[in-house]
Amino acid sequence: MVIPPLRRKALRDLRRLWAQALAIALVLAAGVATLILGNGAHRALSDTRDRYYSEYRFADLFSDVVRAPLSLVDEIRAIDGVIGVEARIVKLARPEIPGMVEPASVLLVSVPAEDGLNRLHLRAGRLPEPAVADEAVVSQDFALAHGLQQGARLMVVMNGKRRALTITGIALSPEFIYALGPGEMMPDPRRFGVVWLPRPALEQAYDLKGAFSNLVLRLAPGLSEPRVIAALDRITAPFGGGGATGRADQTSHAFLDAELRQLGAMVKVLPPIFLLVAAMLVHMTLSRLITLEREQIGLLKALGYTPLQIAGHYLEFVLLIAAVGIVAGFAAGAWLRAGLAQLYARFFSFPFLVFGTDLRVYGLAALVTALAATAGALQSLRAVLALPPAVAMAPPAPADYRQDGRGILRAVALRQTGRMVARHLWHWPLRTASSVLGMAMAVAILVASLWSFGSIDYMIHVTFGLAERQDVKMVFTAPEPGRAVADIRHMPGVMAAEPFRMIPARLVHGTRSKRVAIEGRPADARLSRVLAPDLRPMPMPDTGLILTEALAEALALRTGDRVEVHFLDGKRSVVDLPVSGISVGFMGLGATMELSALGRAAGEGALVSGANLLLDPNATGAFFATATLAPKTGFLNVTDLTVSRFRATLAENITLMITVYVTLATIIAVGVVYNFSRIALSEQGRELASLRVLGFTRAEVAAVILLELAIVVLLAQPLGWLIGHGIGLAMVAAFSSDLYRVPFVMGREVYATASLIVLAAAILSAIAIRGRINRLDLIAVLKTRE
Amino acid sequence: MPQAKTVIEARGLTKTYRNGPTEVRALRDVDFAAARGEFVVVLGPSGSGKSTFLNILGGIDRATSGSVLFDGQDISTFGEQALTRYRRDHVGFVFQFYNLVPSLTALENVALVTEIAANPMRPEEALDIVGLSARRAHFPAQLSGGEQQRVAIARAIAKRPDLLFCDEPTGALDSATGVLVLEALVEANRTTGATTLIITHNATIQQIADRTLRFADGRIVDEMTNATRKRPAEVSW
Repeated sequence: MVIPPLRRKALRDLRRLWAQALAIALVLAAGVATLILGNGAHRALSDTRDRYYSEYRFADLFSDVVRAPLSLVDEIRAIDGVIGVEARIVKLARPEIPGMVEPASVLLVSVPAEDGLNRLHLRAGRLPEPAVADEAVVSQDFALAHGLQQGARLMVVMNGKRRALTITGIALSPEFIYALGPGEMMPDPRRFGVVWLPRPALEQAYDLKGAFSNLVLRLAPGLSEPRVIAALDRITAPFGGGGATGRADQTSHAFLDAELRQLGAMVKVLPPIFLLVAAMLVHMTLSRLITLEREQIGLLKALGYTPLQIAGHYLEFVLLIAAVGIVAGFAAGAWLRAGLAQLYARFFSFPFLVFGTDLRVYGLAALVTALAATAGALQSLRAVLALPPAVAMAPPAPADYRQDGRGILRAVALRQTGRMVARHLWHWPLRTASSVLGMAMAVAILVASLWSFGSIDYMIHVTFGLAERQDVKMVFTAPEPGRAVADIRHMPGVMAAEPFRMIPARLVHGTRSKRVAIEGRPADARLSRVLAPDLRPMPMPDTGLILTEALAEALALRTGDRVEVHFLDGKRSVVDLPVSGISVGFMGLGATMELSALGRAAGEGALVSGANLLLDPNATGAFFATATLAPKTGFLNVTDLTVSRFRATLAENITLMITVYVTLATIIAVGVVYNFSRIALSEQGRELASLRVLGFTRAEVAAVILLELAIVVLLAQPLGWLIGHGIGLAMVAAFSSDLYRVPFVMGREVYATASLIVLAAAILSAIAIRGRINRLDLIAVLKTRE
Repeated sequence: MPQAKTVIEARGLTKTYRNGPTEVRALRDVDFAAARGEFVVVLGPSGSGKSTFLNILGGIDRATSGSVLFDGQDISTFGEQALTRYRRDHVGFVFQFYNLVPSLTALENVALVTEIAANPMRPEEALDIVGLSARRAHFPAQLSGGEQQRVAIARAIAKRPDLLFCDEPTGALDSATGVLVLEALVEANRTTGATTLIITHNATIQQIADRTLRFADGRIVDEMTNATRKRPAEVSW
């Protein structure tokens, strides 16, 4: 096969300029990889979820009742649009695990009927026999955390009675892809699991024969969910129905949704940055190549090659670089995607991952990348087309520096080499600007990823250091009279106990409404405090509500407005209350009232849901031993455990994320610095060699290029900080959901770290360039005309 | 014969380039000495070794064997730093293609050197010697070829060099402009007392020199002394 001469030239050019080409290809590869990773992971996660939901008949609506007769099911099934109903018994219970001191809880759920909803995926073993009272299936992560296998025994305290269960199988459920224990912030499979038992066993344990405590419904597609919820709530209200919620408020689903939104945001932000920088690099490099090859272009035209053929040759050169980038990006993207899949597999409980190779994602990534490279080449190619052969073959006129900052530079006392640097930067404003922008993007990527560290620390500091200062939050199985707190005060190790009450309610303001749990707390609470946005503790108002910023925004409420409160428990009263203040809060949507004011508003008197406790550090063991055995104990949230779990989980994810971002930023920084310096060196090689001949030392000559580089890098820092700050703000907006809201904490150390990383990358590239400056051929440049 | 006022001397200078299997001998055992203030023209066809000779004397190339003595010091034993120092303090270069820095004005191009030299004249003074005071604020792109070359000469002499080496300084210029450049060189030689070596293809130029060397095949094949030097204005080509 004969290779056409121009293609041969393109290949040789590529080999000759391999380092610059590689630097560009890597930036392109980073763009391709992030596109594939982001899109691929997003698709994988949403496809997996969709398939899991549909195959295992995940419900659309969820509703808790205190106790309702099974006869109600027919009435519910008759609601227009309901195509499936599963009436279940769902109860929180306490497992007794030998050797485990810290409190744990399990959610007991009746095994769904054969054609029921939220069906189980058995990983091992079999479902329990309906007739056998002590058989159960446990959730996989909980089983793994405790080494529970088929045939193992699990002791569970149900409704105050210890029951030994035999594990017949290990299962997963679409309802618990993200299995969060009550009151927890992160899944902790050691301390929370799901246990499925046959309905008769639960009926017996909880005295619910012919009754149910939880409903899940499946709706016909395209149906108005609020209308069904309203109809359902009317039916369940007399039976203690706390109001139905859709998937959006179902914990597992909502967390998956948040993850998908984050991925979506990443796909929108990262790949465009890389493709933009790569296009700028292609533009710089190709412009220089074409300037250097002016005479060759003239010669080719004189020989009879058409301008299009010649432009095609340079385009081919660019596309060869793009091809290398695309292939490398495919490989890196696939590798990262596999890594992310593993992370998901650990974090979310899926029975399978739909991680098919979507050729469309790859095709799209390749196409977009090739287009970005071509776009970068366009201006240079136009110059090739326009160049008349005779003009091209004559040497170019010397660069004219007349206009380049002459007046300003005259006024400033600079060494002549300093003037050279300043005028050279000024002479190529577009290149200088795009190099500054490119470096700024590297800084921005880092700023936009590194700020999350400080933000998480701040979140933990505010939430657990200033607001929730209790050691343990004890939640009762059911509301108790206020005197129950006195019993707690007598438990060993309890130094202080503050009661609280939680009542589910729907807050309505105009057309907006949100379902929340309103928390009542004593006016003088010292352990669990409500904080104003300036972090000062807020006094509890006599009658009104304090809303977190997130809730106030969601309902468009301000201090002094009034809000309609529909209590979803007890007497289900509806009251109109003033908004007395706005508080900070990063987890969920929160509303707070003074304890007795809440009781009055809900019309229920002095009931409490539990207590926040301060413990004697030397007596925690004794406390847990007593508290877990107390019949009223529903579950215990231990602040230290919550925080350490939160930190550990985030640390794992963030380490991975930071590694990826630092790598990506380094690729950009190295790509920009290396190409910029190589081009500057190529343009000024002759001048620099002249300086050497004139008696300048190697260091003095290198300083000319390095100073130029340093100016670009330094100019890029503040711009990068600004862009990174902007991206950070956009991320906060994109990531904020009803589940959590990320505080935007951008400290100076974030800017400093980002800049240091980019500077390190720049210095490494500069060292590579320094070697080339040292090897300048003094005689060759003096013998030839540029 | 080396005399008391000899400033630069080459002894048995040999330069061999190896290009794959072939070996090119650019200089073969060249002996040479020049006195302070002497004006020497070096003639010879392309490839005769004259540029290599000049580059080695100027410290931008190294001989394969032999030695170069500057003020009695053997520069062929110098390391990279000492050679840079030698060029910076003692040698002025002028090249065929001027090699000015396009982003600096005429005055700034001269100042580039005066900023680093040990005992320079003021840049304005150097431009005055070559008759370009009026064009000091112009960039190279605004100057004619002859003017650019005169700026290069001013830049070379501004450090008050002991040696002024010019490789085809009029090669890219027409005759009238070339004469102006030669006049600048003669003036520079007169005012600074720098020993001046000029390489040229142009035999006419030998008339303005104290002495002429003729190179062929890497050797000095002929050496001529002028009893009387002509002024550049009196020669033409």
